[in-house]
Amino acid sequence: MHIVDGALSVPVLVTGAVLTIAGVAMGLKKMDYDHLPQVGVLSAAFFIASYIHLPIGFSSVHLILNGLIGLALGWAAFPALLVALFLQAVFFGFGGFVVLGVNTLNIALPAVMMYYLCRHGVSSSSANVAAIWGAIGGAGAIVMTTLMVALSLMLSGEAFALAAKATFIAHIPVMIIEGFVTAAAVLLIRQVKPEFLGIDEERAYG
Amino acid sequence: MANVRYFLAIIMTTLALNAGAHNVIGGVYAIGSTIEGEIGFSNGDMAPEGTEVIVFDHLGNELGRVKTDADGLFAFDASKRVEHFFYANLSSGHVVEMSLPADQLPASLAGDDAQAGSVKQSEYAASTNTDSIDQTQLKSMIEAAVAKQVKPLRQELTAYKEKAGLQDVIGGIGYIFGLCGLGIWWRQRQKDKQDKSDAAIS
Repeated sequence: MHIVDGALSVPVLVTGAVLTIAGVAMGLKKMDYDHLPQVGVLSAAFFIASYIHLPIGFSSVHLILNGLIGLALGWAAFPALLVALFLQAVFFGFGGFVVLGVNTLNIALPAVMMYYLCRHGVSSSSANVAAIWGAIGGAGAIVMTTLMVALSLMLSGEAFALAAKATFIAHIPVMIIEGFVTAAAVLLIRQVKPEFLGIDEERAYG
Repeated sequence: MANVRYFLAIIMTTLALNAGAHNVIGGVYAIGSTIEGEIGFSNGDMAPEGTEVIVFDHLGNELGRVKTDADGLFAFDASKRVEHFFYANLSSGHVVEMSLPADQLPASLAGDDAQAGSVKQSEYAASTNTDSIDQTQLKSMIEAAVAKQVKPLRQELTAYKEKAGLQDVIGGIGYIFGLCGLGIWWRQRQKDKQDKSDAAIS
C-alpha cells in the first residue's frame, strides 16, 4: 500500500499532494472537534496496524483499517491518516516524504467513499445488516485503495492491468481479513459506543 | 467441499505473491570484480525469481541487466571501476535502488582514471615480476574469503537498519496523542476566548 519514493512521476506526485491538501482542509473543516481524541486513537491504530505483520502461512499481511477509519471519521480520515503516514515514514521508513500526498490520497479517499456508501448500513437497526455493511466497508476500502495504487503506478508509466492485478491479488487476503475485522468492530462499537459511528442521533430520532 | 478447496487454493497462491506494504531492502557487495547483490522485503521474503535488475554507472549509462535467482540473489561482472547503481522494480510501487562505490572494486579494473591505474599496475608488475601471478591469485583469494566472512554481517546490518523497535512504535503513538492534545488545548483556548467575549457583551 505504501508506494515508495522514486516509483512515481512528478505530475502524479503533485496531483496527489494537491488533492491531499484539499482533503485535509475539508477534514479539518468538517471535523467535530469534540471527537478529536477519537481521531487521534484511530490515527494511532492505523500507525500501529501497518507495523504488525500477521503471519499467514509462509508470508505475512498487515491490516490497513482505512475502512473502519472512514466509517468512524468521515472526512476527518484525511488528517488522521496524513499524520499517521508521516510518522510511519519517519519511524519505520514506510513509503516516503515525497510520496506522502499520493499515499494519503490512496488510503484516505477510499475511507471517505466507504463513509458515504456504508454510513446508513452500519447504523441499521438490525445487527446483522450492520455487520454486513461493516464488512463491505472494510473490504471495499482495500479494493478501492489497490485500484488507486494501480492507477498511480499506471499514470507513472506502468501498465495498469499488470499493476492492478499484482496489487489486487496480493491484497485479497487483506480484504477478507479486513472485512471480518471491520464487521466485528462495527458490532462492538454499536454495543459499547454507538455515537462513534454517529448512530446515537439517528436512534434518538428513530 | 470442492468449492472450499478451490477457495483455499486461491488463497494459498495469492499468499505466495503477497508483498503487502513491506519495504524493499537490498544490498550489494563486491567479491573481486563480481558484484553480488540481494533483494528482498523487510519481512524476510526474497524478491521473486527473475526480477530484473538494471545496472547503471555514475553517469546514468546502462551497463547491463541481470535477473535474480530463486533466493533473490544476483551477480554482475563489473568491467569498469566506477560507481555502480542497481535499480529494481518489484511492481506495486516497490522499487529499490542500491549503489556500490568504485573503491570497493579491485584496482585492476579500468576506471575513469584508467591511466593512473595502468601506471600503478605496470609499476607493480615490474617490481614483483617473478611472483606477480601468485600475488594476484592470492589477492583475489583473500578478497573472496573476506567477502564470504563479511556477507552475513552485512546482511544482518541491512536488516537491523530496517528494523523498527518498540521505541519507534511508542514514539509515534506519543506524537499522535501529543498532536491531539495540542488540538484540544487550542480548541479549549478558542472556547474560553469566546466565552469571555460573550460574557463581556452580556
